Amino acid sequence: MRKHSLIALFAGLALSLAAQAADRWQVPVASKKLANGLTVLVSPDHSSPTVGVSVVYHVGMRLEPKNRTGFAHLFEHLMFQGTPNAPKGVFDKVITGGGGNNNGSTRPDFTNYIETAPVSALESILWLEADRMKTLDFNPATLKNQQDVVKEEIRVNVQNQPYGGFMWIDIGGLAFDKWENNHDGYGSFKDLENASLDDVRAFHRDYYGPNNAVLSIAGDITPAKAFALAEKYFAAIPKRPTPAPSNFSEGLNTAERRLVQSDKLAQVPAIAAAWKMPERGSKDQPAMAVLGELLAGGDASRFYQSLVKGRELALNLESLYGLTSIWEYDGPTIFTVFALYKPDSSADALLSAMDEEIAKVVKDGVDEATLKRVKTRLLADWYNGLESFLSRADTLAKLQTLWGDAQVVNKIPGWIEGVKSADVQRAAKTYLTVANRSVIDRKPAAMLAAPAAAADAASSAKP
Amino acid sequence: MKQLKLTPLMLAAVLAVAPLAASAAEAVKMPADLPKYGQDKPIPVPHISKKTLANGLEVWVLPRQGLPRVDFVLALRGAGYGADAADAPGRAKLLAGLLNEGTAKRDSRAIAEAAQGMGGGVGAGASNDGITLNAYALKSHASDMLRLLAEVARQPSFPEGEVALAKANALQALKVASAQPGFRAEKALSQAIYGEHPYGRSQETAESINAATAEALRAEHARRFRPDRALLVITGQISAAEALKQAQAAFGDWQAQGPAPAEIAAAPTSAAPQRLLLERPGSVQSTVRLGRPGIAATSAEQVPLRLTSTILGSGFSSRVNQNLREEKGYTYGASAGGRSFRVGGAITGGADVRNEVTGAALQEFIKEYRRIGSDLVPADEMEMSKRYVAGTYLLTTQLQGAVAQTLANNWLVGRPAEYLGEYVPLIQKVTAEQVREIGKKYFSPETQSLIVVGDPSAVAEQLKAFGEFKVSR
Repeated sequence: MRKHSLIALFAGLALSLAAQAADRWQVPVASKKLANGLTVLVSPDHSSPTVGVSVVYHVGMRLEPKNRTGFAHLFEHLMFQGTPNAPKGVFDKVITGGGGNNNGSTRPDFTNYIETAPVSALESILWLEADRMKTLDFNPATLKNQQDVVKEEIRVNVQNQPYGGFMWIDIGGLAFDKWENNHDGYGSFKDLENASLDDVRAFHRDYYGPNNAVLSIAGDITPAKAFALAEKYFAAIPKRPTPAPSNFSEGLNTAERRLVQSDKLAQVPAIAAAWKMPERGSKDQPAMAVLGELLAGGDASRFYQSLVKGRELALNLESLYGLTSIWEYDGPTIFTVFALYKPDSSADALLSAMDEEIAKVVKDGVDEATLKRVKTRLLADWYNGLESFLSRADTLAKLQTLWGDAQVVNKIPGWIEGVKSADVQRAAKTYLTVANRSVIDRKPAAMLAAPAAAADAASSAKP
Repeated sequence: MKQLKLTPLMLAAVLAVAPLAASAAEAVKMPADLPKYGQDKPIPVPHISKKTLANGLEVWVLPRQGLPRVDFVLALRGAGYGADAADAPGRAKLLAGLLNEGTAKRDSRAIAEAAQGMGGGVGAGASNDGITLNAYALKSHASDMLRLLAEVARQPSFPEGEVALAKANALQALKVASAQPGFRAEKALSQAIYGEHPYGRSQETAESINAATAEALRAEHARRFRPDRALLVITGQISAAEALKQAQAAFGDWQAQGPAPAEIAAAPTSAAPQRLLLERPGSVQSTVRLGRPGIAATSAEQVPLRLTSTILGSGFSSRVNQNLREEKGYTYGASAGGRSFRVGGAITGGADVRNEVTGAALQEFIKEYRRIGSDLVPADEMEMSKRYVAGTYLLTTQLQGAVAQTLANNWLVGRPAEYLGEYVPLIQKVTAEQVREIGKKYFSPETQSLIVVGDPSAVAEQLKAFGEFKVSR
């Protein structure tokens, strides 16, 4: 329970409460579970004649087969490759002709499929989603085509890019111990090439049943109409057994992990520093959200002011919560700070500057004015993320999948407001420790080669 | 094999050998039980309240009932890359970036903290035709944010320390960007398309960064920031009357200094096609780009060009994406189409493809470019693409910040406020013949410069069929 009485101690109470009330936004959420286990969520909003639709399946990289790294993501691509009823090309053409857009993404704990379009296309979209939940067109040509496309995706995002996504792929490999958490979700080319049609069939059968999915619709539709449409298109799909997940939980780390990487494409060095996070639903999670914003949320943050401005060590600074957000994980995840640093600086200089800022929070907590500012931005960001019908539908579907309750969407503002200085202090002390930290220092190959050559020269000079 | 130097005419003959592929859209057969689209609702036309303040500042307000946020865009026309001197490419970017790093009243940190405390932000960016400041805040902080926006726009102080830091960081950022093949390709493409025109100056150089001084930035600010060349757009949970009142309070006493900068001269409408291979040893992909001069935003051909661009190269269902990604598996994504600015534009296309298919990918682009200019687009594909444009309009106007940005961009390039509501009906009138005409005029392969960033040892041989490529670093 949050206590409002404490706030009464502060002057300007009437104004601040009125302002808070004006800035509050309640997202309507209606939910229904069909007999086959499909959860349906509806958030009506008639301000635009459009809808956002999200179907989230409760399977991601953590649950893909061990000798098939990258399979959950490859499978996501195959979901757009047609079915016996709707051959390849139908999906994109129907969505485009409906005036909409579609996409999908794969994360450790979920895979989402999203569409947004004028409401006139809603029935077509639901038909398409139901159709591919039933079955796919399992054929070698589309499998080969998407193996090629995924490999190009990896080339363009990883192999051909300076830094190569090390701040969201490699850092997880370093920080985590269990395979489920530490393998590369993009996968190896070898594993991707070895994926067979039998693998595709098995994954669809095991994880893509209605009972392992959430359908969410936001926008110009009433709950009654949406539930009726969901019933019409999805009710006949039988539920299918889903394998029990492995136990992929793991605790905080007890000794710092460091890695130096060589980057043949980068011209400027960079680091990623990551700390394991509280579990989803822990009382420390909202405190960690406030702490993350305080330390690394934009230009007003303490890391930015210390590393980019005051000490001028870094070029920029960004923070990430694994591959998702602070509210969208359901297993071990990390808070990662990524920065490009200056040639005359070093990973140690950056880390010690960060440690100093963390130590200040551990020692003094956060003053009220700063805490209020940080919470205000966090609240506003939460609302901003819900503005488009597409991200509203998708957020609801993800919260339902991960928390078992889409109403969390309306609880988060209160959780943010309830965070006290002592909570932030506790989170800093518990999680942002050196022992719980993993760091990758990514250096341009030329930078690493120079000292190595010098060392070689020095050693060979010895008798 | 003997190296052939191809004249444009011979090149056309070589390229025409490729057979025309059947359209992906034609090949798809719709399932019998797929529900038809429902009745379309009328396209809502936004009602914009407009007022011009005594100092010439235009103010447009679009009240909305959505989330508790107000969005502001302040657009400065003629303040962008187009106003940069020939020896100061990219200067507008540095100028825009430093606006919120200090004002007469607040330092950089105080500005950032004030914005954070309003649940929002304020920042600026540069484009060819202007500098645009964006700001947003929670509803209860709207008037505070508008005052902060005015302060940042009108009273930036360009502190020496901040300018020095921005320059040092910009030099490093340029190194970072230069390691990305897309940045290098874009730079070469701009030069091939615009030549010496100011639109070719959007990318900074180490020399231009080094030459910037606080004094010069202050002078440029005074020259480029004037109310008689500015538009303020306000959207969100605020009434038109309240927004206009606040705009008057924040900007009413703003006065222009000196003569207004000259308008930019028209950009080129044609350019000699170039063939460039930019070396990137060890690259596992080729970054392939095609480009030529295009048309201004207010050109009579603009609307058919938009539809042509959609059909050919925008979105998953576009021809180049269906061909290069979905049929061939050459790339994660391919695109093509027109970009348009106030006094000119560009026709660009491209994809990042694995080394082995560099030549084949170029061949497919050329094939699609030729087809859009020679064959009439089938009726169902015309219909699909028009509905896609209409839907995209509805989806964009759902977001208040995006609406404000679109209105401001339209104004910068010379389109009236009403264009927002007129655009979709105009698109719906475009004929297949017009698309073919535009295709022939602007996408003819013979007129395209070809830029490839990649590993010469892996791709040079494949490029021989397309003419002699000048290889450079």
